[in-house]
Amino acid sequence: MIYSLYLHVPFCKHRCAYCDFNTYAGQEALIPDYVDALVREIESVAHSAPEQLAVHTIFFGGGTPSLLTSKQFEQIFRALRGHFDLSDLETSLEANPGTVSLDTLRDLRSLGFNRISFGVQSFHANELRQLERIHDPFDVFDAVTWARRAGFENLNLDLIFGLPQQSLDRWSATVKRAVGLAPEHLSLYALTVEHGTPFGRWAARGLLPVPDADAAAEMYEWAGDFLSASGYEQYEISNWAKPGFQCEHNLQTWRNQPYLGFGAGAHGYAAGVRYSNVLRIKTYIERLTNPESRTVNIEFPFSPATVNRLPSTVRSEMQETMMLGLRLTSEGVSAADFAARFGVPVTDVFGKEIDELLGLGLLEWVLPPSPAFGRGAGGEGIIRLTKRARLLGNQVFIRFVD
Amino acid sequence: MTEKIRNFCIIAHIDHGKSTLADRLLHLTGTVSDRDTTEQILDSMDLEREKGVTIKASAVRMNYTAGDGSAYELNLIDTPGHVDFGYEVSRALNACEGAVLVVDASQGIEAQTLANLYQALEADLVIIPVINKIDLITARPDEVAEDIGSLLGVPPAEVIRVSAKDGTNVAAVLEAIVRKVPPPKGDANLPLRALIFDSHYDSYKGVIAYIRVVEGKVTADEAIRMIATGVDVKPIEVGTFAPMMKPAAGLAAGEVGYIATGLKSVHEARVGDTVTSAARPAPHPLPGYRHPKPMVFAGIYPSEAEDYQNLREALDKLQLNDASLTFEPETSQALGFGFRAGFLGLFHMEIIQERLEREYDLSMVFTAPTVAYEVLMHDGTVTVVNSPADLPDEGLIAEIREPWMTIEIITPTDYYGPIMELVTRRRGIYKQQEYPAPHRVQLDYEIPLSEIIVDFFDELKSRTRGYASLDYQFLEYRMDELQKLEILVNGEPVDALATIVHEKEAYHKGQRFITKLKELIPRQLFDVAIQASAGGRIISRANVKATRKDVLAKCYGGDISRKKKLLEKQKKGKKRLKMVGNVEIPQEAFMAVLSLEED
Repeated sequence: MIYSLYLHVPFCKHRCAYCDFNTYAGQEALIPDYVDALVREIESVAHSAPEQLAVHTIFFGGGTPSLLTSKQFEQIFRALRGHFDLSDLETSLEANPGTVSLDTLRDLRSLGFNRISFGVQSFHANELRQLERIHDPFDVFDAVTWARRAGFENLNLDLIFGLPQQSLDRWSATVKRAVGLAPEHLSLYALTVEHGTPFGRWAARGLLPVPDADAAAEMYEWAGDFLSASGYEQYEISNWAKPGFQCEHNLQTWRNQPYLGFGAGAHGYAAGVRYSNVLRIKTYIERLTNPESRTVNIEFPFSPATVNRLPSTVRSEMQETMMLGLRLTSEGVSAADFAARFGVPVTDVFGKEIDELLGLGLLEWVLPPSPAFGRGAGGEGIIRLTKRARLLGNQVFIRFVD
Repeated sequence: MTEKIRNFCIIAHIDHGKSTLADRLLHLTGTVSDRDTTEQILDSMDLEREKGVTIKASAVRMNYTAGDGSAYELNLIDTPGHVDFGYEVSRALNACEGAVLVVDASQGIEAQTLANLYQALEADLVIIPVINKIDLITARPDEVAEDIGSLLGVPPAEVIRVSAKDGTNVAAVLEAIVRKVPPPKGDANLPLRALIFDSHYDSYKGVIAYIRVVEGKVTADEAIRMIATGVDVKPIEVGTFAPMMKPAAGLAAGEVGYIATGLKSVHEARVGDTVTSAARPAPHPLPGYRHPKPMVFAGIYPSEAEDYQNLREALDKLQLNDASLTFEPETSQALGFGFRAGFLGLFHMEIIQERLEREYDLSMVFTAPTVAYEVLMHDGTVTVVNSPADLPDEGLIAEIREPWMTIEIITPTDYYGPIMELVTRRRGIYKQQEYPAPHRVQLDYEIPLSEIIVDFFDELKSRTRGYASLDYQFLEYRMDELQKLEILVNGEPVDALATIVHEKEAYHKGQRFITKLKELIPRQLFDVAIQASAGGRIISRANVKATRKDVLAKCYGGDISRKKKLLEKQKKGKKRLKMVGNVEIPQEAFMAVLSLEED
């Protein structure tokens, strides 16, 4: 079993208008205590683990991880190196293009980060203002240039489509500019107007003229064609990469493999349990500082900050394997892997659902490229979304949940 | 014996304060104390209290010592307050000798006031006019007293003015009842004849028949017979309402009370039937019995097929208490197994729907209500069709007849024009008008029932700012140019969406129906063609385009549980849709034909 680690940094200079992630603006004074708490949580979880765990990816997400100083990162990495078996690592950092400099990027690179992901979202200044991003398009050019100069050879840009009043032309301009910067990886996310965000409030009052689903579909399909013509391969519903540059950390989630979550509101999946931590930063810090809660004997993979525990059943694990694996547009779910994992062919468990979806043209069977691959107990081949179904994923996934 | 008995009812338009006045009388006579009453004692069903309408009749005995020093037995028989229950009203009136006519001091005389008044006069009742709500700022008691005076031919000064709410002058009503309402006549030595004016089902004592003994007497020792249904039974108990059921040795001519029959269904002791003695039966029943006839029909289908049996049991139970509810199994290609139910009117249907939802916690699809059509076939036979899907092939039909009603609308004269426009647009025919009071006009029309079961009353209210009131009665079946309007989904007719319309309206209704369905039917994985067809021609069509995008974006920090919950929620929503062929249709679509009139 090889693990991934997710570390959450819930600080932002300003909250973006569409964001419903667990992050807070104006609490940066808590960062030093928070980093101490993160280190304690790492120690606590590693301590209760049955053995020293092998880890192949580390991902700092947020919030804005790039708000941490290199000293603070160094403190965290020291803890990680001391408690986990780290080898052949992909170490990713989410960064806001408006928060980096050539010096900080050099420091980050030398700390061990080898993948950086910039939240670009758009190359139009007015769109960025509407999203309430703190950066402008020029920051992105600088950030990418500096990242390259600092030695980052694996770079991702996040983009959002379906923005208010966005046309296909404006979207394609954003995509073209992003491709012009030659990142190894691109994530394209459809804007989701979430309840409880400024966007949600504006939409409820009819003030957010977001393009309809058809227009968003056009944008997605145009971008897919353009990216594939530009040498990117789609490997997940929202993700494209140059060959060999898929994000290993995210693959871990989609393959339904274990990951440990550290930090306020972080989620994890290990030892057959989905769990998550307390959301508020102060409570998180208290829980990891309070000597009483720290001395309580806590079972792996939990920490004093864990508040939700949802044990998986065989059934739910099977469901999640499908619902996550089918997001992988190219590799899909391998019948052999499924059979090896659960001891029963996928067609025995979900035969009815798969047949129905094949009939609807939303799923397809693909034979393995080489005969050596996948001729296991559960039959052969992989099952995956058809091209059309990439935008209709929910219609597929709902058939695999209760 | 009967000299000191007074049997009376209270008649009023909805909201004119009948229940409040009844409560006040019960308090004044000490029949109930303040402590043990919830508001409005006679309206015992929650629904009645909420809708402010008495759905079922009820009766209560009060003991009253009048100004003359004698003790009287006053029987108040409550009457249903909605026009759907006109027959029940007439039976209750026939159990009385007098009626208190309540008119709201600010609203004045309305259609139901008159309709009920005419019924009371027909039943030969002594009328005691009362103006209620004189405490309101908007009250205009002098004007209303004039109106009532001229209507009844009595001096306006004789009209009693009360506020049931604060109790003002209510005692005068009791005195008037004693003084003016004659004691019941009827020979206690004749063979028993008692009128059933209401009934309810009690799980311990079986059907409780509410009776007025007209002749003879009834005791628990002697077997009784229901003349119309021919059922013989030995009563479990006989008694009076005080106001709860209180056993008595017997009831004699003139008295009002109940017989606990032990019968298992109200169908065996029907409202309007005559109770007699099994050993010494009366030669004739009391006049006026009618088998209640449903006027409005609708399909009821369980949302989940597995609820079919529960729905059946719930309908059975409701029917125990409601002899006018009918139902029979029906199968729809679109909706599966369900029932075709018959109701007295749309209000009755609403009540049944709400009770099924509330008391039995059932989720159902109701199809659009329809009337019963008479279809004359070329071979001379006549069939009754109460579901549009059952309409025979056009080539076999000689003519289609539909039920027509007479309606009376009473309104301030200002709204004459809008009402005329509304009624004629719905194929109504003007008959005559009268002016029962200054500034009030009574308009009489004939109109097809199918035109008034759907939102007619709401329309009437909105065009007259709530001032107009409506009463209706069945008239006759009439032939007209009617045809089936069918809806095809991806080329297949959907039986549960069919409706019968007038030829002249087929085009307009078809178009509106399609527009509405296009809004209601969610986008599916493929294009869905919806078409309206009438008389063998497609008259309207639309396309619900296939959905292109339905996928969740990025999940926050590996939060799979949340994503899964969202998917589960989406799946649940999908389950609420009805699969018709391979197309998912929401339940609202089956009622959509009801809202085609909005412009």
